[in-house]
Amino acid sequence: MNAWMGKNTLVDLSSGSVKINDTDEELASKFLGGRGFGGKILFDRLDSGIDPLCEENLIIVAVGPLTGGPAPTPGRFSASTKSPLTGTITDSNCGGDWGPEFKRTGYDYLVIAERAPQPTYITIIDGEIELYDASDLWGLKTTDTTKALREEHGDDVEVLTIGPAGENKVRFATAMTGHSALGRGGLGAVFGSKNLKAVVVKGKEKISYADKERLVFVNREAVRNINQSPITSKAYPQFGTAVLMNVINEAGMLPKNNFRNSDIVDEVENVSGEAIREQILDGQTGCWGCMIRCKRDTSLKNESGEGPEYETDWALGPNCGNYDLNKITQANYLCNEYGLDTISAGSTIAAAMELSEEGVIDYGVTFGDSDQVVSLIEKIAKREGIGKELAEGSRRMTEKFDRPELSMHVKGQELPAYDPRGAQGQGLCYATSNRGACHLRGGYLVGAEILGAPEMINRFGHTGKASLAMEEQDVGAVYDSLTICRFSHYAVSNPMVARLLSAAIGERIDTEKLIQIGERVHNLERLFNIREGFTSDDDTLPERLLTEPLKAGPAEGHVVELEPMIEEYYETRGWDGEGRPTQKKANELGLEEEYEQIQS
Amino acid sequence: MSKYKADDVIKRFQHVGSALYQRGLENSHSGNLSVKVGNRLLITRRGSQLGFLSKEDIVETGLEKDDSGIALASSEVGVHRAIYRETNALAIVHTHQIAATALSFLRDEIIPIDVEGGYILRKIPVVTCKEGSGSKEMEEKIPQALKDYKIIMLKGHGAFAIGDHLEEAWHYSETLQNIANIIFMVKVMGGDIEQLQERDLDAW
Repeated sequence: MNAWMGKNTLVDLSSGSVKINDTDEELASKFLGGRGFGGKILFDRLDSGIDPLCEENLIIVAVGPLTGGPAPTPGRFSASTKSPLTGTITDSNCGGDWGPEFKRTGYDYLVIAERAPQPTYITIIDGEIELYDASDLWGLKTTDTTKALREEHGDDVEVLTIGPAGENKVRFATAMTGHSALGRGGLGAVFGSKNLKAVVVKGKEKISYADKERLVFVNREAVRNINQSPITSKAYPQFGTAVLMNVINEAGMLPKNNFRNSDIVDEVENVSGEAIREQILDGQTGCWGCMIRCKRDTSLKNESGEGPEYETDWALGPNCGNYDLNKITQANYLCNEYGLDTISAGSTIAAAMELSEEGVIDYGVTFGDSDQVVSLIEKIAKREGIGKELAEGSRRMTEKFDRPELSMHVKGQELPAYDPRGAQGQGLCYATSNRGACHLRGGYLVGAEILGAPEMINRFGHTGKASLAMEEQDVGAVYDSLTICRFSHYAVSNPMVARLLSAAIGERIDTEKLIQIGERVHNLERLFNIREGFTSDDDTLPERLLTEPLKAGPAEGHVVELEPMIEEYYETRGWDGEGRPTQKKANELGLEEEYEQIQS
Repeated sequence: MSKYKADDVIKRFQHVGSALYQRGLENSHSGNLSVKVGNRLLITRRGSQLGFLSKEDIVETGLEKDDSGIALASSEVGVHRAIYRETNALAIVHTHQIAATALSFLRDEIIPIDVEGGYILRKIPVVTCKEGSGSKEMEEKIPQALKDYKIIMLKGHGAFAIGDHLEEAWHYSETLQNIANIIFMVKVMGGDIEQLQERDLDAW
């Protein structure tokens, strides 16, 4: 199996047993790797209706055929599970160095099953898999855990670990490798529920390719494009993803105060990518094999770390009325150390602030209280005081007080940093994302609607947005399954990705076939969610975005007009009026068995 | 934050952009325009349609340094900055006019044969760059050529014109189009272009 390692492993944490299997060639051909593998294995092996935090849930950690090789931005890996935040299937995609190192251990994916009787960590070193007692590590933050495991197993191992938030099953806990996160959907809580503290990897296996010379040649072309695109060669390297703070603010769609408004606010300048560069930046860094280097090494007076990146900057910043860059950065560092998703953390704090200001419950937090933003991170991670309620996420917290409309979520997952009232297609993307609100799984139409990438389209238009959303979603599923970074998509065309894959595996994959694989992954995830009871009613947006027009700024007067776009989206996808893939569509994608299972 | 995206400035961009497109100096998505304002630069958005510019198609960024505007600005912003740095230009118009681009493949300089073209531009040098759009090579060579001329041709690519304002650079761009069209028509009708171009150009 060129480009794949040909083996996978299943670790049963309950018995401590390890099984090693050959990777199924049909699985690889139909689902590529990463997110595709995760989706297929979860669909096949999970019973519907299980509690995501029970021992039956699975974690699938997977890489793909382009991971760790001569490909653009190849340093990523994927982890999939049933989300404790949303109840949907979820996958998180993570950078850093862990993914390529895991691949060199000789495995395409790792299935983690059951629950360990006591805190445990897994090592996969040079192909050997062992389980260790992690009792001494339990309670440690992510950096301390990594340090301890490197002292034990060598400086050259890569560590994927949860922090106290995962141990305490915070529903939006992450798993971290260095400063990179399996960020969204609460994978860290599933680790915690299994008493799994960390997975340590080190490998030396070689990856073989069908036509390495051609792969290197096409990759050189791809890298040249990346080095010529202003976004990937100038904007992100110089200012990080927070370059978007000013851009999205000026477009009138940077949400403030829990999406109560998104008009242009001058104070955003204080927390912009430019401000980060001028005030706290130590250096730019990047994931394995990446030439974009969008990550920020930063430091404050007494501490240092990574970030803030755009979503974090916004969630812990303007969305909480906070324009203090130092406090945002401090809160960001804490999220990394405790293992919390910064988007959900910030958005849940913002919802708590609105609950307080509305007089529903006196949490003692108000918009603009930057000290509270910092102190709440630790409380959430430890489930202390009001942190216990916030640790459940904004949907459960607001439902408890009968004010669900104050949670800015889709399917239970909090929205990212773009107000879709200013970019209608992005609203459709959020609403139809398989893992809940997400600008990546749902598709990034901000690219076309605001950044003009690849071309500028009317951001307030509706007709035709469905096709664009579908393509964004399907191409995104390809990237997540290969596994390469979405940022290269700004500069690397789909035919070029198809040529890369073809050279790697030795089989001609044309662009249409490549994108069909993404469509298959997306449809399979949809079938998983239907089996869990999700319906078209869940393809919606927070009431605020549908009924409260923006009061000022370039998008003044707009709400998201979702209904006609949803109808067109279902038609475009080949789904029925209830948003269910039809038999014809399932057959076309080779998902006949999965379709039959849903019918029964 | 944008300081200089005033409505009247936007209207100048729209007026000139629309004229360039309607007169065939640009295709649907080609070219770019910019003006220097204080220590800032207003430039058309990457991929914008000059014939149909909206307010959001005009991007403000630093005259010397990048800021968040770089995420949206024309990919040739580096060439514009270099021109402002090396010349006294206050506005730049970059066009992809067809006849002059065709001529640039055949000549090292374009010498007008019409009276008005000769009076306004006298001659237009052709600059050759091996590297593509927005390259360092363009940033080095084009400003040097524009130290002595109001408009230059980049071989096989298009024209860069400078002026005190967009209208002036537009004027030179239109003049070059007329020059190239007339040369083309006279050539087609059997005229001897070289003979018609004989004139004392030493002063240039």
